Amino acid sequence: MADGDGNRDLATAFAARERWAFEEAYRQFAGLLYAAAYNVLGEAEDARDAVHDALARVWRSPGAYTPARGALKSFLTVCVRNEAITRARSQNRRTRLAVRLAAEPVEYEELRIGDPIESDRLRIALAALPEEIRRPLELAYYDQMTHVEIARALDAPLGTIKSRIANGLRRLGAAMRHA
Amino acid sequence: MIEHVGDDAALYALGALDDAQRDACDLHASACPACAVLLGQACDDVTAMVEADGVPAAPLRAKTLPRAGLGAFWPALAAVILVALLPASLLYRQNASVTAQLAQEDAMVARLASSDHRTAKFGPMPGGHSARVMYGPTGSWYVVMVKGTRKPMQVAWMHDGEKTMLGTTRSLGEVAMLYLPQSHRMEKLALMDGNEVVAEANLAY
Repeated sequence: MADGDGNRDLATAFAARERWAFEEAYRQFAGLLYAAAYNVLGEAEDARDAVHDALARVWRSPGAYTPARGALKSFLTVCVRNEAITRARSQNRRTRLAVRLAAEPVEYEELRIGDPIESDRLRIALAALPEEIRRPLELAYYDQMTHVEIARALDAPLGTIKSRIANGLRRLGAAMRHA
Repeated sequence: MIEHVGDDAALYALGALDDAQRDACDLHASACPACAVLLGQACDDVTAMVEADGVPAAPLRAKTLPRAGLGAFWPALAAVILVALLPASLLYRQNASVTAQLAQEDAMVARLASSDHRTAKFGPMPGGHSARVMYGPTGSWYVVMVKGTRKPMQVAWMHDGEKTMLGTTRSLGEVAMLYLPQSHRMEKLALMDGNEVVAEANLAY
């Protein structure tokens, strides 16, 4: 399927770099993209910048997205999340924390209104994975560690970690789709 | 150009590759439909995780919210309690000054920077009170916070059909709290008023 979110026209137009498609994609996915960035960076302004920069980079790069890459929503979400992770890794940890704490306070409750049923699905799906598969997946997703860092942390060969993460993500995705 | 994306598709989607490795995957997928599909599927899976994790209500609204809201106060205060730096009663509604103090303390900032945390709510809380626990993902620390009552409450670890008493919250003005350094993950905590359990929190790891 060209676009899992059911909008093939949008995906095709986005790939063809039609401006309306860019604006429409932003309109449709802004909340999700912001969440992807915020969940990594934990700071509103930084998250907004990450969304902006990731989308600008995609837009400036002809051919970055084609319908062959699957759902536009998923492609953009991962682009934004990767941008956020890159930022998080490159920022000095102390600076990042100081910025985060000094930032305009946001209402914690307002920011975290995930669907509890969805959250439970993720938690249950993760819990169902064997420890040796779940742990590297958690370190990659929640702690944004690279596969090299994960291999070092778990004292396991790189190839083993890679295959466990891939296996875990496949199983998790399947479990969440069928839950 | 790399051979085929293979297991790197998951690493790509999770952000576990560096920039150069990601670029290599993109370049390869632009000429390999099978790997493009593989990347798309991995991106779908990670997107499902992001969606399940929770979507902020209103990205633009957050900036207009008032300063020093109680919600923002929780993590800042818990962070401070972790290192026992300041009398917490001074911190209530003083997020900015807390921030300034935090920034001056290298050791504390280092601790905070490395202290990823999670939260869980106690429920149901009576009488409009609210309570939550912030805790380290490895179970190395817990901070229980109760808002809206000055009354000390006992905190217990619920496990295997038993209650292990952990301590009593201390009133700090409008908030009472208890810092618990631990060495293990506790999956259920209870707030108790005397012998009566008034609320429970389930902690996910």
